[in-house]
Amino acid sequence: MNSIQKLLSSDESIISSHEVSLVQGWMRSSKHLIILEKSRDLKALLVASEGVDYALPIDSDFKFDIDCESKSKNAGDVFISITYQKNKLLFEMLPVSKTNAFINELLKAMEHQSKRKSAGDYSWLKKYSKKTDLTVENQGVVMDARTCTVPSENRAVFVCTCAALGKFVILGIEVLTFCWTYDSVIKYQMSIREQDYTYIQGIQVFIGTWNVNGQSPSCDLSDWLTTTVDPPHIYAIGFQELDLSKEAFLFNETLKEDEWLRAVTKSLHPGAAYQKICLVRLVGMMLIVFVEENLAQHVHNVASDTVGTGIMGKLGNKGGVAIRLDLHTTSLCFVNSHLAAHTEEFERRNQDFHDIDSRIAFTGFLPPKSIKDHDQIYWLGDLNYRITDLDLTKVKNLINAGKYQTILEHDQLTRQHAKGNVFLGYKEGAIHFRPTYKYDVGTDDWDSSEKNRAPAWCDRVLYKGDGIRQQVDYKSVPSLKISDHKPVMSLFNSDIRVIDAVRYRKVHEEVMKKLDKLENEFLPQVMVDNTEVVFDTLRFLEAQNKTLIIANTGQVPVQFEFIKKFDDSNYCKDWLHIEPYMGFILPGEKCDVKLEVYVDKRCASKMNSGQDKIYDILVLHLEGGKDLFITVTGSYERSVFGCSIETLVQLNVPLRDVALGKLIELESSKDSGTLSNTSYSVPKEIWFLVDHLYRHGLKQQNLFEHPGLPSEILLIRNWLDTGSSDPLPGSVHSVAESLLLLLESTAEPLIPYNMHPACLTASTSYVQAKQLIASLPLCSRNVYLYLCSFLQELLSHAEENRLDAKTIATLFGQIFLRDPPRSRDPSARGKSQTQTQARRKANFVYHFLVNDFSELIAPVNHPG
Amino acid sequence: MSSSGQYSYSYIFKYIIIGDMGVGKSCLLHQFTEQKFMPDCPHTIGVEFGTRIIEVHGEKIKLQIWDTAGQERFRAVTRSYYRGAAGALMVYDITRRSTYNHLSSWLTDTKNLTNPNTVIFLIGNKMDLEGSRDVRYDEAKKFAEENDLIFVEASAMTGENVEQAFLETAKKIYQNIKDGKLNANMTESGVQHKERGGPASLGDSSSSDKPNCSC
Repeated sequence: MNSIQKLLSSDESIISSHEVSLVQGWMRSSKHLIILEKSRDLKALLVASEGVDYALPIDSDFKFDIDCESKSKNAGDVFISITYQKNKLLFEMLPVSKTNAFINELLKAMEHQSKRKSAGDYSWLKKYSKKTDLTVENQGVVMDARTCTVPSENRAVFVCTCAALGKFVILGIEVLTFCWTYDSVIKYQMSIREQDYTYIQGIQVFIGTWNVNGQSPSCDLSDWLTTTVDPPHIYAIGFQELDLSKEAFLFNETLKEDEWLRAVTKSLHPGAAYQKICLVRLVGMMLIVFVEENLAQHVHNVASDTVGTGIMGKLGNKGGVAIRLDLHTTSLCFVNSHLAAHTEEFERRNQDFHDIDSRIAFTGFLPPKSIKDHDQIYWLGDLNYRITDLDLTKVKNLINAGKYQTILEHDQLTRQHAKGNVFLGYKEGAIHFRPTYKYDVGTDDWDSSEKNRAPAWCDRVLYKGDGIRQQVDYKSVPSLKISDHKPVMSLFNSDIRVIDAVRYRKVHEEVMKKLDKLENEFLPQVMVDNTEVVFDTLRFLEAQNKTLIIANTGQVPVQFEFIKKFDDSNYCKDWLHIEPYMGFILPGEKCDVKLEVYVDKRCASKMNSGQDKIYDILVLHLEGGKDLFITVTGSYERSVFGCSIETLVQLNVPLRDVALGKLIELESSKDSGTLSNTSYSVPKEIWFLVDHLYRHGLKQQNLFEHPGLPSEILLIRNWLDTGSSDPLPGSVHSVAESLLLLLESTAEPLIPYNMHPACLTASTSYVQAKQLIASLPLCSRNVYLYLCSFLQELLSHAEENRLDAKTIATLFGQIFLRDPPRSRDPSARGKSQTQTQARRKANFVYHFLVNDFSELIAPVNHPG
Repeated sequence: MSSSGQYSYSYIFKYIIIGDMGVGKSCLLHQFTEQKFMPDCPHTIGVEFGTRIIEVHGEKIKLQIWDTAGQERFRAVTRSYYRGAAGALMVYDITRRSTYNHLSSWLTDTKNLTNPNTVIFLIGNKMDLEGSRDVRYDEAKKFAEENDLIFVEASAMTGENVEQAFLETAKKIYQNIKDGKLNANMTESGVQHKERGGPASLGDSSSSDKPNCSC
């Protein structure tokens, strides 16, 4: 945009710009459409990304269509095709109000152009782009998707996708994305390949025009309408002054319409049957189109319109009527006009032509089609141009001598046409017939009335467009004498494009197949360097990392995410952490994903009991594409952390010496309550830790509050697991934290979950609290009382260690009455409720820190 | 052009391809989407995805095909993909009897995890290897009849009957819709009427908001 701003001359300005996608082949790329204006007059459209791709004059060759089907209710994207000199660009726009505004500006620009009487000079556009036509691009790129894959220098940073729409939000950088299966895209593909499934068929088009001066058809019209050996395929027959009555003028009603329709129908070529396709009339101007019956089934999208240019420039005494239709894939437009009368009014006639040309609009198309939007245009009528600057007698003499060419040099239409003032781009065949106006009715004699009008070729046929190959005949029919005008006919050999149904299906199938193929090719594709990630032996609280490299090997940006399996609550096990678990990778680029495994107090008990193991299958999902499975495995070295109290009291050898099966068996039978005679009262591990604290930590300030060192905690873990005879390593803080960890790593807290409600209720009553503790399973009760005894001992040294019962109660309340594993939804529980609960837990434990509970203690069997 | 509006197809049918490892599931998919045989096809580790637009009774139908990993260890994961399948192509290898013997277990999964109107099509693949045949046609035919499956022997290598298997399945699904047995608006049906976009993801909201697990 900035580079374009710099190119603007002082008299040029940007009217509107809009971000769109240009569909080329099967790809789309982000573009800006910019409407430029020069000198408040000439308009142009720029198609730009970083530079200007195309600079197109908005002139008579500029056409555009809105895809009607994509305007359907579902607020789909809007497809706009812009055609310039037979070449097409397809744009996709979002269904937003800015799109509407932009299209309105474009329509305004086109309307402005259509009112101009001459072609503008667009040489000023050259500075924007050398390409002012679409030809090269169309052949080079549009035909083959392959040649328009992303140029690598254009790959750059851009932000995330709105993948559901298959669309990419772009920060000023050109990115191509694959076009999904829109009908619009298929239509566009089909239109590019039109030549592959159409062939040219020659048809004969009969054009007739007659100013009937308000007469009724009292004679046979065959001389006019049936002049050829072979029947024409199409008739377009126009009348002027069909009815001169006031009723016709004021109410647009006339009986003459039917009379003439019947007369015409009767006199059509007997060699073929015809179907009336359309009849349109405005006051005295009537146009009827017939198509040969077999061809009629291939006529589509018939429409008509009328324009009055008469009194006050609006009424229907003068003006034009028009019919358009598609025959196979060729669009045809027929215009019948009756332009302003009187010799001196030739400029008025020019103006009438321009008014009709710009005001005829066939609605039902988006945007409405105008006359110029057609492949072939046939313009007929009483154009009313006269012969000037030539003496009347001389004219008549020259006519009699057959020297029409000399007179035609004085024909206003010939002169105005040559000057480019009217019928720009239209052709007219050579005139080899007498002027068609003005005769005494019933004769071939020139007007003998008082007015003594000069002869003139008022009644003419002009044409414009591709495929009108040859004008075979252009003549008047003097034998029809009921009017003061003679009818005129012209016969054309024209070419239309016909769809070969078999080839069409074949091409359509090819297009669909290509679409399938491309859709599969443009599915997101990645390579993962390892689908079986194996970790070394894992230990409690020791994290291990592995990196997974996801490489985008496909042609489109990839949005990946690790997703949940069917009945899992998370996309991976709780001992695994994936960073990042979702992301975005451009084609050719990679993303490193860190897999961290870490067994902590939350998952150690499941590992010990065999309920879980280091084994997970991750589902790596590519948005809009396939899923990859990544297996994560490893072995876990069990630790006393994660063992239940019930199991620990039964282990009289170090854990490392316990067979795996034995451990699982103990863990699975822990709820049965059967303890062997050799069981300890409290686990030896707890005893070791407490004993150490008792001997070295009673006077330590901030005990249980100050964190331990992770490395020391690992040493303590090893010491406990191996049953080392060395002194217990680590500081008292590390030992204290290990003790807490040991209590927190069990599957259930020391006071089982099912007793929590009762404990919270009993928090105000020591008697009730004692009853609850008395009802605990034996080994839990022992550990509870053992720890509380120790804590009382600790508090008895409060002067040195500055601990107080409230703080210790709060801390151990959370340990003894630990909450169940938190649900992943943090809003599940209110914060205030948690605070109340914490207070109650503290109160519960507090009773056992300040009261004597010796009556609860059973004889203790100390290990060691 | 057709009257199918903005989309080039009127329906989306979801298919799954299941069966033991190495029976040629991915090759069948490749043959169907690319009309080519893919030799040395690696084991699928995950779920491959392919798509093709076909025509049934003049209606364009987009097939979204999920080709699942056959390895036993992935069985629990691939079960996630059964849900919402309109068609299930159950494949065995005619030269390996074990793959045929496992069909009943695949069939149980399919019946448990899909809706009652899911069309199950049994494919005996590798019919080009007649010399190594280990499962008789008649035997498989009988199994298919007993279990109400459509059956064909096919070859992903030569392409024989591959197209037929995918198309016949679509025809049957289409017939079920026309007969009113299948509601194209239900997410479980595996059929969408004129919807746009890529395949529905395993974890997307539409499938996770209503757990329907029977495994």
